[in-house]
Amino acid sequence: MIELTIDDIKVKVEKGQTILQAALANNIYIPHMCWDPRLKPYGGCRMCLVEIEGQPRPLASCSYPADNGMIVRTNTPRVAKLRKTMVELLLIHHPLDCPTCDKAGQCSLQDLSHQHGPSQNRIQEEKHSVARRTRNPFIERNQSRCILCGKCVAVCWEHQGVGAINFIGRGFDTKVSPAFEEVLDCEFCGQCVDICPVGALGNKPFKHSCSTWFLESSDNICPYCSVGCTVTLDTREGKIVSTRGIATKGVNKGDLCVKGRYGMDFIYAENRLKKPLVRKNGGLVETTWEDAMHVLAVRLNDVIRDKGPGRVGVIGSPKFSNESNYMLQEFARKVIGTNNIDSSACFGFSKVQKAVSQVFGLSSLPISLDSPIGKGAVLVIESDITSTHPVWGLKFLEARKKGSKIIVLGPRETKLSRHSDVWLRVRPGTSHALLNGIMHLAIEGAYHLKNHMSTAATNFSELEELVKGYPPGRAAEIAGVDTDEFIEMAKVYLTAESRMAALSLGSVENNKGLNTAISAANLVMLTGDGPSALQMPADYANTFGMWQMGISPENLPGYKKIEGSPGKNLFQMLYGKKPLDALLIMGDDPLSTYPDLKKVEEALRNLQLLIVQDIRLTDTARLAHIVLPEASWAEKEGTFTNAAGLHQTTEKISTPTGDSIAGWQIFRNLTRYMNSTPPFESLTALRDHLSDMPIDKGKEKWQYVPVHYEEVEPVDKQYPFIMVTGNLMQHSGALSVMSKNLSEAFPGAFIQINDTDAARLGITDGSTVRVESRRGAATVTVEVTDEVTQGMIFAPINFATARLNELTYAYEGGGAPLTAVSIQQVQSA
Amino acid sequence: MKNIILKNIENPNSHRIEEYIKAGGYFALEHAVNEMTPRDIIDDIKKSGLRGRGGAGFSTGMKWQFASLDPKFPKYIVCNADEGEPGTFKDRVILEKNPHQLIEGMVITAYALQSVRGYIYLRAEYPHVEKILNDAIQEAYAKGFLGNDIMSRHFRFNLSVHRGAGAYICGEETALINSLEGRRGDPRVKPPFPVNSGAWSKPTIVNNVETYANIPYIVETSPKAYSFLGTRDAPGTKLFCVSGAVKNPGVFELQLGTPLREIIYDHCGGIRNGRALKGIIPGGLSTSILTPDMIDCPMDFANLARHGSMLGSGAVIVLDDTMCIVKIYERAMRFFEHESCGKCTPCREGTGWMRTILRRIEDGMADMEDLATLEDVAHNVAGKTFCPLGEGAAQVLLSAMKRYRGEFEYHVKYKKCEVTDPSLRWGHMSMDELD
Repeated sequence: MIELTIDDIKVKVEKGQTILQAALANNIYIPHMCWDPRLKPYGGCRMCLVEIEGQPRPLASCSYPADNGMIVRTNTPRVAKLRKTMVELLLIHHPLDCPTCDKAGQCSLQDLSHQHGPSQNRIQEEKHSVARRTRNPFIERNQSRCILCGKCVAVCWEHQGVGAINFIGRGFDTKVSPAFEEVLDCEFCGQCVDICPVGALGNKPFKHSCSTWFLESSDNICPYCSVGCTVTLDTREGKIVSTRGIATKGVNKGDLCVKGRYGMDFIYAENRLKKPLVRKNGGLVETTWEDAMHVLAVRLNDVIRDKGPGRVGVIGSPKFSNESNYMLQEFARKVIGTNNIDSSACFGFSKVQKAVSQVFGLSSLPISLDSPIGKGAVLVIESDITSTHPVWGLKFLEARKKGSKIIVLGPRETKLSRHSDVWLRVRPGTSHALLNGIMHLAIEGAYHLKNHMSTAATNFSELEELVKGYPPGRAAEIAGVDTDEFIEMAKVYLTAESRMAALSLGSVENNKGLNTAISAANLVMLTGDGPSALQMPADYANTFGMWQMGISPENLPGYKKIEGSPGKNLFQMLYGKKPLDALLIMGDDPLSTYPDLKKVEEALRNLQLLIVQDIRLTDTARLAHIVLPEASWAEKEGTFTNAAGLHQTTEKISTPTGDSIAGWQIFRNLTRYMNSTPPFESLTALRDHLSDMPIDKGKEKWQYVPVHYEEVEPVDKQYPFIMVTGNLMQHSGALSVMSKNLSEAFPGAFIQINDTDAARLGITDGSTVRVESRRGAATVTVEVTDEVTQGMIFAPINFATARLNELTYAYEGGGAPLTAVSIQQVQSA
Repeated sequence: MKNIILKNIENPNSHRIEEYIKAGGYFALEHAVNEMTPRDIIDDIKKSGLRGRGGAGFSTGMKWQFASLDPKFPKYIVCNADEGEPGTFKDRVILEKNPHQLIEGMVITAYALQSVRGYIYLRAEYPHVEKILNDAIQEAYAKGFLGNDIMSRHFRFNLSVHRGAGAYICGEETALINSLEGRRGDPRVKPPFPVNSGAWSKPTIVNNVETYANIPYIVETSPKAYSFLGTRDAPGTKLFCVSGAVKNPGVFELQLGTPLREIIYDHCGGIRNGRALKGIIPGGLSTSILTPDMIDCPMDFANLARHGSMLGSGAVIVLDDTMCIVKIYERAMRFFEHESCGKCTPCREGTGWMRTILRRIEDGMADMEDLATLEDVAHNVAGKTFCPLGEGAAQVLLSAMKRYRGEFEYHVKYKKCEVTDPSLRWGHMSMDELD
């Protein structure tokens, strides 16, 4: 700690802090425009100059380190004078078009002019007039207003790891632009828009929709991924018009991704459900809640009475709140009397849960958002974390800046692979073999003996035996990488001071399986790092919470194990030999996202009763007998539990669409119609119950589970390509495709193919191809790129229209359910 | 007077390695690697009192010591050959005529700092020098003075030339490093200083061409012999490049502390065309102007500072009484505005504003209020900018306004120039033609 005096106040700060940081931490405000806590000091705007005793010149407090015994004055006449001059200088060429600027009211320059600036300028010069650049979908660039603080450039490269913009030109003619003044084409995270102190960068969807002083702001939790960012929603007359991240708020501290910033308009989608629908004479017709509930109760009771409750199943939703999911399972278990409860997490996060419970005996393993920071080596296993969990992904970039080595295994070029220290382009799905190979090298090099835990854990000798079969040569051969490079990578990982392994196992990702997760868990035990070094985040906003709420055929709320035999899981409900008779689906669209579309469709069509409860009319809802409109996120209160296990409240900001109501109310009312007594009458009672709910954490153990690498569906002559499915940064499924903003910018389904493969097959970029697997075929646009390796196809699976899930299959085993496909051009671009 | 830097200069083949060796070249390197430890060399340089020849005049030995105490490796050796200060052409002589002395100096520096990689950052406007330097480097490689096993002593040092792209700001060491790394040539925040975190965040020495050229002499003779030259505070010789209204302009190697009068009247033959001396810019455009009564000022760091100016690069620009101060500083300000990198507000916007007012004064469109505004703006730019560029721009204007106040006021009052005689070429010529 060092002590210095700022404006006669003695303050204590950590060594290494700048004067500005020291002042702000002690509530002394120094005006600044080019400084941001996330970025390296730039020192350009010179607003933050202060006087320091013994220094002849004023110094920039944003970049000058605080020192012991320093005496700083932030408010002398000299400082006031120079601030005034700085504002005056900035205003010389600033257009002063405040009445038509969206930033007016939130503009730093405006504020500083009021506080420090001169009442009139002593110089009349021509105002900046640089052509506005508006050809990208989200960000309006108005260079005339730019004050060249450089924050957008820095946040884009330093913080976001993109580098889409930089300065062009010198001196007075400097401007911020993409290379060669091309149209901005980036990931559109919009961080530059939030950080711009003036109106040079603006949100296009918001443009001219409202003066900032008419906006009301309220905070909410983002409904997309499981990071659980706090979003600040600006509303005008109850309608959300823009989204911002605020540096002091939430787990994200101001960071947002493209979905969080531009995807909130999904709640205004045209296909939102407004009234309950009941199938009459073959068509779905709008009706009242009373009618729908009555019909539902009668028909559901019929099935329960005739076929038994074991013939009924329910599907929960990782995008809906804890309250909705809890009431769903209460309804299923208490009113219907079945444990046939599952969700799409069956294809993804449940594998993480299984691995965690098998290896560590824990009921859940929340991630820590700061986990990569300070680790010697971070191993990323075939995961595109900056796409699936964009804001968490930034922590990996930050860790690298702070000296961590980032090791990426994976065939596809991702932001993390671009920022990695070591990148092995493994064949899809083979990282499991490499993990076994790393363990082989660890035991061979006696790295595991550096800790006491590794050999003491159960099954050590079995594991030792297993990894004997994965000498570097073989592991590298399976993964299709160079043996020496693999050994080098393993050394970087094993010799690091501290380690961490990360993988995402989303429900649409097919390049990892249960065994990959188990193998990663074995590895962190062998190196003595333990469960906290294994970071496997849940995928959607409430996947973690949904699981905790007991949306599982095996667990009750609070991870309590079911006594007796478990209920049917998704594989048995939809893909089994004896499908169900009635199914209640809440907030999910199996026809768009579940694998093996044909089988799913057949199972759904054969149902005697299909009830869909959702916020919009999905493809699945079109097949339903009864459709119930649920109020969407931001139209009701609720809680989400993020991947770190943090419960966060979502607020009601907008009025619910049509007659839609909150999920917990639907089930309360339904319970009454089924002639039972609802467990809770009010949201408060339900919340009280949930907050008091005991959580069975499990008993920690260290037990190796030796698993061999397996290839589930090998490629052959007929189907020579491996299709990897996953998410894009801009789309993650049902919600994002409802967003007009996101869908306009990233409209259609596409697949990626390697340029060499494309040349060989005569496929050109942008053309239409037919992709075929053993189960079906799909027609889709193709992108020819070197982002993917040869023999691989990457397919973002979010676009229902492409029906790419007709090609994939549901697989309950431990391997990675990759799909072998063939590809052929049907129409040129 | 002994020539250290310009020795052998009359030899038309002085740039060839054979001629350089014949004149005793590379002996210092041999002596250094065979008989001295790196520590010895740093101590000797410190003892010699050598100060940087680029402008700031920081102790070279101290700079080396800071870098050598930093535990990070590799360390980089960079030569600042971005000679961009208006009026300066002294490094050019070394680069053209005596490149091996620079190379030898850099190799000794590399040995002293255990560096394995060096760069000569050459200004874009010296394209012919690039060839000379590359040829010299090739020769040095061939003779084993550069490469992976220098003088068979298992000492490795590789050197290459990096050409700038024509920006004045890249003469500032941190901007130079940014440019060398392939980034935009903007200055960096200090601290950290380049000696701790320079090129690729590693300890980096950036020295001027002339500074390196002094090293072999110090190593070869002794620090004492070197400090015998010049003054106590500023030992050694210095290249002075004199331009402007003198009979015999050129580059002169003289001891530090040589009085200005001696330079102008003895070495340069006095003011040309029998005109009277009006002022002297002693160290390049960004050093403050001296008035004729300061003609006896010894040319060293301390004495020039006493007169409110700086030694700078040693570029003496002599002005006679046909020249208009307002016009000169209007032109100077145009240069600074054009070369401002745009990073900080006062320099980017302030130089433009000052130039606008100067233009107005020069055009006879200004009033007394403009003069006050100009002074006020300059005061608020000086000392507030990110790097010395804007600082220099404002400082030199302020001192010119102070020392030639009358001339500025005459322009404002009578809407014309006091000194410009239409019959004289200089006064008649539009400054635009000089661009």
